[in-house]
Parts: sequence; structure tokens; C-alpha cells
Amino acid sequence: MRIINISDILGKESAPAIEFRGVSKTYISGTHALEDVNVRINKGEFVFVVGSSGAGKSTFMKLIMREEKANTGEIFVNGFNLTKMPRKQVPMLRRTMGIVFQDFRLIPTMNVFDNVAFAMHVIGASSRKIRVEVSKALSKVSLGHKARSMPSQLSGGEQQRVGLARALVNAPDLIIADEPTGNVDPTMSYEIVNLLTEINKRGTTILMVTHDHNLVRDFKHRVIMLDGGRIVADNMGGDAQ
Amino acid sequence: MNLQSVKYLTKEGIKNIWVNRLMSLASVGVLVACMVLIGLSLLITANVDLALGNLEKQNVVMVYFNDYNSVLYGDKSDATSSETSLTSSDATSETSSGDESESGTSSSAENKVDINGISENDYIIHNEAEARALCAQIEKLDNILSVEYVSSEQALSNIKETMLDGKEKYFEFLDEEYGNPLSDGAKVVMDDLSKFDETIGRIKALNGVDSIVSQNDLAEKITAIKNGIGTAGVWIVAILLIISLVIVSNTIRVTMYNRKLEISIMKAVGATDSFIRIPFVVEGVTIGLISAVISEGFVYFCYRVATETLKTTLGTSDIVTFGSMAWILLLVFVAIGVLAGTIGSVIMISKYLKREGSEFAAI
Repeated sequence: MRIINISDILGKESAPAIEFRGVSKTYISGTHALEDVNVRINKGEFVFVVGSSGAGKSTFMKLIMREEKANTGEIFVNGFNLTKMPRKQVPMLRRTMGIVFQDFRLIPTMNVFDNVAFAMHVIGASSRKIRVEVSKALSKVSLGHKARSMPSQLSGGEQQRVGLARALVNAPDLIIADEPTGNVDPTMSYEIVNLLTEINKRGTTILMVTHDHNLVRDFKHRVIMLDGGRIVADNMGGDAQ
Repeated sequence: MNLQSVKYLTKEGIKNIWVNRLMSLASVGVLVACMVLIGLSLLITANVDLALGNLEKQNVVMVYFNDYNSVLYGDKSDATSSETSLTSSDATSETSSGDESESGTSSSAENKVDINGISENDYIIHNEAEARALCAQIEKLDNILSVEYVSSEQALSNIKETMLDGKEKYFEFLDEEYGNPLSDGAKVVMDDLSKFDETIGRIKALNGVDSIVSQNDLAEKITAIKNGIGTAGVWIVAILLIISLVIVSNTIRVTMYNRKLEISIMKAVGATDSFIRIPFVVEGVTIGLISAVISEGFVYFCYRVATETLKTTLGTSDIVTFGSMAWILLLVFVAIGVLAGTIGSVIMISKYLKREGSEFAAI
């Protein structure tokens, strides 16, 4: 498949990290998860995605990660046209993004260093590069001293920071954080969003799903609100509601 | 995929065996059981083949030549054996039987005309040199293991020694009145009894062959037994192979279940299908190879005990040595191990590779 690079078409400055054009998704069960969604997230933006349960947030994220395919419309992520993308190409798309999960998804039998290194092994990085980059990523999340610890020896906040380091280690263009503060205490939640903000300042696009209104209110970022599968609010100026 | 990745994935595959050691042990156990059964089946088949081969060598076909005596006394099968006999259909034989009705009562070899009134010149075999030449012709035919020339004198002497022990005097009239009634002939042993009929046909077609006495029913039985054992062997091996495949697939399935989190993360960070698949294939193949080596040792031990027991109790020495089969068995075991490991893991993982991150985590 020929990859359509949006930046080539629209020019570097205006190239979106994510673009949905008239996207609808209905599951085989008949559930209408998303209906005619049109949204554009530019490179370097920090966006909160909010909405109640069943609003379509998960489907929105799955479509971006190409875990699901849209029924209608077009989706562009990091220069890939997901609508026409063959399955074989999906790993290449995912290598351009880092994913942070609510439940951390750390491998319990691996120590912190190996958990982060794991993401680099997947892309076939050399041992030397892995050593250097993993150390850097762990330093960014202030966990360099815990490289040899096992996940079970870490607090929830620390585990999520390991997850963040793993998402960062391959220097992705886009980080997708699916309720990263859902399983950590409020103080640690702020710490994690602070970290994401720091990463965002270096040019990485951040898309974060959250239920935490305090975070949305306190961090002045763009907020996309979903309800019933539609975008009902999108304050592009970053005025939190 | 670069060398770095291959090294990492191979290490991961081998590490998995240790992480899932109980399941791996169970798989090795069942695979060893299958391989040992396959190995013993092969050894039993080889031994039965050897025994039947020996039996084949004892299944001597007597070929009688068209010499003076054969015409004088007719078909030897009537006189010497109740087994199936094949009478030569060559022209000489037909001529001799045709002339039989027209012949007079007496004649002797002296006037060169026999009892049937046939001149000595009408016979094809006149002396030992010609008989031996015919033996050489038979020996050159396909599927002939050995040919032993038996002169008529030797044949008569054998009969006297074996059948007429102490009663030679009753047969003195043969020497005095009629001379030796037996023909020159040859003891023929075939290589492969499954080609019995066609070989007999070729011998019969030779000029100078009068009749053939053989135990073709025995040949048929031996061939049937050999074929039966061959077919049974193939079925046993096929069934055990399928069992091996299922066993390895199940181990991989359990490993996969245990590693679903890891696989979902792999997929999320952009691992290709082959990257995810390789550790499982390495695991399956390693389990297969370990099983192959253990099976070889186990079969050696079992076979040694069995052969020692047979040798001491039955006193038989016609047993296939383990050494002559060792490499074949190891090759078979390794092939089974590698095949079962590869196919088992590929089948199992292909089913799961189509799942996406969250679906995978929900298994």
C-alpha cells in the first residue's frame, strides 16, 4: 500500500498528527460507537479526550491504534492512511506512537529495565542503543535508580512511570495515554500529567483519555468531549470546562 | 529482522521453556512416549523384515532341466513334491509330451533314443557343462540371490541320505534297471518374494528349463505379512505423529495464554507477526529436540534389555543391532520433534495473531 503522507499534501506546518474525516464505527453487535466524527489534531498538541462511559472514547483510541477499522470515513495518523492500510503495515504505524495503559501492562517477570527495553527489542535495536536509550527514558521519569527493581516492588505511580518510559523510549511522534491516572493517587496523577506536559513541550503530540475533571481543569490543554459517539465539544483554545 | 532480534527471540524461546517448566516437562514426557513407540515400531518392523528375509532365503525354488531324465520320467513335481509345480511350456517340452503317446515300449540310452523314442539330440541339456551354463543364465536374471547346481547324482544321493535312511536296498533297482531317474537341476533363492511370479516366469522362459517346483503359497504369505506390517507401521507412525502435534500445540497454547500480556504489549509497540511467532517456534522446536535425544536413549535402553532377554531365553542371534538403526532413529526423532514443534506452534499462534491488543488481553 502506498502511504499517503499528509505533510506532503498539506505542507509541513499544517500536517496533522491525527485526522478523522466523517468517521463512523458500528460494531457487529449493532452498537453505534462513533458517528460522523470529524477532528484534526495537529503535531505537537496536547489533547484531553473526555466523556462518560460508552461515549466512544475507547473506540476513538482503538481506531487511532488501528485495533479497529472504521466503517465509513477516513483516518490519518502520523502520515498513514488507516482506511486503506493492510494488516501487515500496522506494526509500522504503531512504531510511530507510544501507548500508556491505565493498568500499566508491565511484564511481572521482567525488571524495570527489561520492561522498557522490551519495546526496543521489538524494533530490532542493538544492545548498545538499548542500554543508552532505556537509561535516558528511565531518567526522564526519574526512575534511573530503580532499573533493576521488579514491577511488584514499585508503587502504582512508579509502575505508571515505567509504562511512560516504555512509551517514550522509541521517541514516538505521538503518545496515546488511555486513562494513565486511573489507578494512581491524585498527587501521582499530577506528576504523570506534568511529565506528559514536559514531553509535549519537546514536540511530541499527546492524546490523553481521562475522567479526572480536576486534571482537565488545571492543565490548560485542548479538550475533546465525546457523547453518544459524537464530538459534542472541542475547545481548541484549551479553556478547560 | 536483524541478527540482534533473532538472538533475542531465540533466548526468549528457550527462557520460556524454563518459565513454563511444568508444562514443558509434560510435553517432553508425552512426546518421548510417542517417539519411543514410533522407535520401537520401527525396530520391530526391521526385525520382522530380517526374519522374513531369512525365511525368504530358505524358500528354495527347484528348477529342473530338460535333460534325458526329465523326459523319461515326466514332470518331477509329481514324483518329488506335492507343492505347486510349474511345467515349462517351451517347445521342447511340448514336443516331448506330444511324442509320448506315439512312443514304443522300450529303449535305452545306448541307442541314443529314450523310453519315449526321442533322440538324445532332441534334449537341450546333455551334460554338466550345459547344465552349469543354464545355472549361470538363471543367476543373471533379476531378483536372483543365489543359484546352486544340483546334479542328478547328487539329487539321488540326497534323497537316499535324507528320505531313505537305512532303506537304500529298496531302491537298488533304480540303479540296476533304470538308472538314476532324476534330472539335473538348480536350487534357486530369490531376493524379493513379492516378485515371485514374474521371476518364475523369466526362469521358465529360459531354454532348457523343464519344470519348476516351488512353494509359492509361502512366498505369498511372506509378502502379505511384510505388506501388512509395513501398512500397520505407517498407520502407527501417522497416529503417533498426530498425537505429538496435538501435544506440542497444547503446550504452545498454554505458553501463549501465560504470555498474553506480553503479546498484547508486543503488538501495541509494533511487533511484527514473525517477531511474536519466533519465540514460540523456538520453544516448540527445542522441546521436540530435547524429546528426540531422550527418546533415543530410552529406546536404546529398552531395546538392549529386550534383545539381551531374547538372546538368553530363545538363543536367537538373528536380531537387528541398535547400532545399525541408531542414526535412522535419531533422524526420525529429530524430524518428528522439529516438525511437531514448528507446525504445532505455527498453527496455534496463527489463531491468536489476528487478535488485537484488548481482545488478546481478554482471552
